[in-house]
This record gives sequence, structure tokens and C-alpha cells, in this order.
Amino acid sequence: MAPRTIAPFGPQHPVLPEPIQLKITYENEKVVDVVPALGYGHRGIEKACELNEYPKNIHLCERICGICSCMHGISYCEVVERLWPMEVPPRAKYLRTIWSEMSRTHSHLLWLGLLADALGFESMFMQFWRIREKVLDLLEMTCGSRVTQSVSVVGGVRRDIDDEQKKICIRTLQEVRQEAEALINVLATDPTVKARTVGKGVLTKEQAILLGNNGPHLRASGVKEDCRMLGMQAYGELGFEPVVETDGDCYARALVRARETLQAIDLQLEAFSKMPEGEIYVRPKGSPPANEAVYRCEQARGEVFYYAKGNGTRKLERLRVRTPTFANIPSLLVMLPGSELADVPIIVLSIDPCISCTER
Amino acid sequence: MPVMLPTIIRNLFGGPATRMYPVQVRDPFEGARGHIEFDDDKCILCGNCARQCPAAAIEINKEKNELVFYPARCIICFVCAEACKKDAVIASNKWRTPYYTKPVEVHVAKAKKEKAKKE
Repeated sequence: MAPRTIAPFGPQHPVLPEPIQLKITYENEKVVDVVPALGYGHRGIEKACELNEYPKNIHLCERICGICSCMHGISYCEVVERLWPMEVPPRAKYLRTIWSEMSRTHSHLLWLGLLADALGFESMFMQFWRIREKVLDLLEMTCGSRVTQSVSVVGGVRRDIDDEQKKICIRTLQEVRQEAEALINVLATDPTVKARTVGKGVLTKEQAILLGNNGPHLRASGVKEDCRMLGMQAYGELGFEPVVETDGDCYARALVRARETLQAIDLQLEAFSKMPEGEIYVRPKGSPPANEAVYRCEQARGEVFYYAKGNGTRKLERLRVRTPTFANIPSLLVMLPGSELADVPIIVLSIDPCISCTER
Repeated sequence: MPVMLPTIIRNLFGGPATRMYPVQVRDPFEGARGHIEFDDDKCILCGNCARQCPAAAIEINKEKNELVFYPARCIICFVCAEACKKDAVIASNKWRTPYYTKPVEVHVAKAKKEKAKKE
């Protein structure tokens, strides 16, 4: 038997600058066992949410994750709205959808860039991130900030998109779509990309379901499941159909995210064309009543689950968040054993881990 | 590689995608959240901004007739600017420059004083 070596992978910058450590046991360059160690980025946000008044938690929840901050804010608002329950004006629903999809576009472009970077394909990494800047500019123009958008409030949204901004958004999104499509074509056909991703880290449909995975990671294994199918926000009116691949390897996961990027742009364009006129905010009546509510939202990385419990005061009694990466980390224990040591970074990256989300 | 050729050629003749920062700076968007300023002439120390601030960056001292603002705590959400009924919180789209020590701004509410004098 060849000697076994245990090597730490992380917590400082394992593929991506987020703190997760994988204790990898390997034997002749083949991974035998993996033990993930978490706990480097815990900030106690859930507890802090119990100490604040409920409108202030929006800004705290947005800071759970830097990339999906917009969707965390929207999810928090939606779960608190369900405590009454109260209805949001239709235009606000469309605006939330547009901003959610914009976040998804920039998150997926970021991930595709990181994938190219992990493969050593530096020029493609730069190209993806250059396109992403345009989407971030749109977010800054419409929301006021690139990353922590702070546009959603309980009862609606804080900002409206006027006609001039709408025109700029539509024009830019069409440009982004065209440029992204050309790059994705490179990603899908390039032999070096294929050599590094096809057949690596295979996760079968049964394993994915058994491990409770979600998001693009699950859809790449052939499971048609997406929270947007529930029709929350304005998705019910947009004719949404999830992107599914069947191979379950790193290449399939990259393709799912690439196709979702284009789909997200299409959804935004459709939402812009269907967006009704009208109010964007209704004032909630009093404090959240003593009630419980749950909300599921499809973020770029997968399904986020929000639970809130009110007690009739301005403060929530409990807020619980389950983030997509928490459900996807167990799949590493199945995908990594048996793979080459050099493929570990790409397989870890293929679940699109967001550790600060997971630990909150 | 041939698939990426159009992108490469476009980049070769398209010029750089970045700006010559800091010589060339992009103008901030009209609605961008840059920083907040206080108009002392309009402030009546009602405390709406301080109550709604999620980061506790504003403190009201009614005895001293002062509004104390801690810019380093501010998360630039502009909730205060929306909460102010007297337009005393001015929302600016320009970024603050970095600082070495945490500044503390003390604003004396003049509108409040004038109101008190009249009474």
C-alpha cells in the first residue's frame, strides 16, 4: 500500500478567497478521503437579527453574502411580509425580479471567470469579469450601489426604474448577452477546458437527491428543481423553465451556469417589457404579528431558506437562514474521493461555494 | 482558440477596457449612494434619522442641541435621507475619500435654536 499523506487545502484562499479548509488524504496523487472544516467566518448575524428592529435587519441580512446581497435582502423582506401576510404591489414584484436576475447574471459571470482562472485560462477570466462590470454598473445606476444594493424594504422597493434607465438597461443587457454568448461558446468548445472538466467530480442524480443538494449543482445532475418554478415574485408571469444538464460533472455544472446567465438576461428583458405601471411600496400596518413564516428563494448558488417568527413587537423572535452552500458541501465527500489531486480546486469550485453565507 | 479569435481581434483594436485612474475618473451615477451631509439650518433634531439608522451612526443630544454623526459607522443606506421630513439630510453621489482616523462630525441644529428663540 502506498503511503498516505494528509494535506490541508485552505483555509487561506482555496481556489476562491473564502475560508474553508479541506483536510485531504491522498495516496499517489489520488484523493482517498476528505474532511471539510468550517467555522472561520461566523459572525452571529442570526442572533443580531433578534436584537434589531425588523426594518434594520434588511441591511444586516444583505451582509450575509456579498454576491447575493440583493436576494438576501429581498428574501428577508418577503419572509417578514408573510408574517402579516401582506401583498406587495405588482410593479415592486417585477423590480425585485429584475434586480434578482441582475444579481444572478453578475454572480454567474463571476463564477465563470473564477472557473477560467482555476483552469489557468487567464484571458477568459478577464473577459468574463469585464462583462460583469457592465452588469454591476447597471446595478449601481438603478439601485445606487454596486454590491449592497439595499433596494428592498418590507412592503415593496425603495427605488423605481424610470424610462431612461430602462432604455439603458435594455441596451446594455443586449450587449452583455451578445458578448457573454461569444465567450460561453469558447468555454463550451475549448479542448483545454473540456480536458480539465469533462468527467471530473461526477455526481449522479440519485446521489444529488440523497445528499439534498440544490441549485445549479443539482440541476447539472439532471434534477429539474428550481425555486423560481414556485412562481414567487414575478416569475409566475415570465414563463420560466429551469436549465437542466444530465452529466453531473464539472463541465455540466459550468454549462448550467453559462446557460442560466443567458436565461437570466432574457428574463430581465422579458420583465422589462411586461412591467406594469403603478405603486412600488405599501406601508406595513404596525409591527409583525405573532406568527411564523417561511420563504424559499432561488439564489445564484441555489435555494436559500428563510424562517421568521414574530411576537407582535418591532423585533423578531427568531430568524433562521439556510444557505445553498450548506446543502452542497456534503457532495464534496462523494465527488472528491477517487479524483486526482490537481482536480480538487476545480471540483471544489464547481459547487460555487460561498462560505461566509454558510456560516453567517 | 479559433473560437476566441473574434474576441481577441476586437480587444486588440478596441483599446483598453479600463480607465487611466486616478487621472481619468468616471462621473458617479445620478442616483449613486456616495455619502450624506447635514444641513444644520434645516435640522430640528426630531431624531427620525437616528431612530431609523441601522448602523447607529447618528446620535441626537437634545440638551446640547447637537447632532453627532460618525461617518466611519455609516453604511450609506440613505435610510436617514428618506426619513428626514425637513430635507436636512443631503444625499450626495460623491464618494468620501479614505481617512486615517475615524472622524466625528458635530452639527449644531440652528433651526431648532431659532424656533426656541421665537417661542
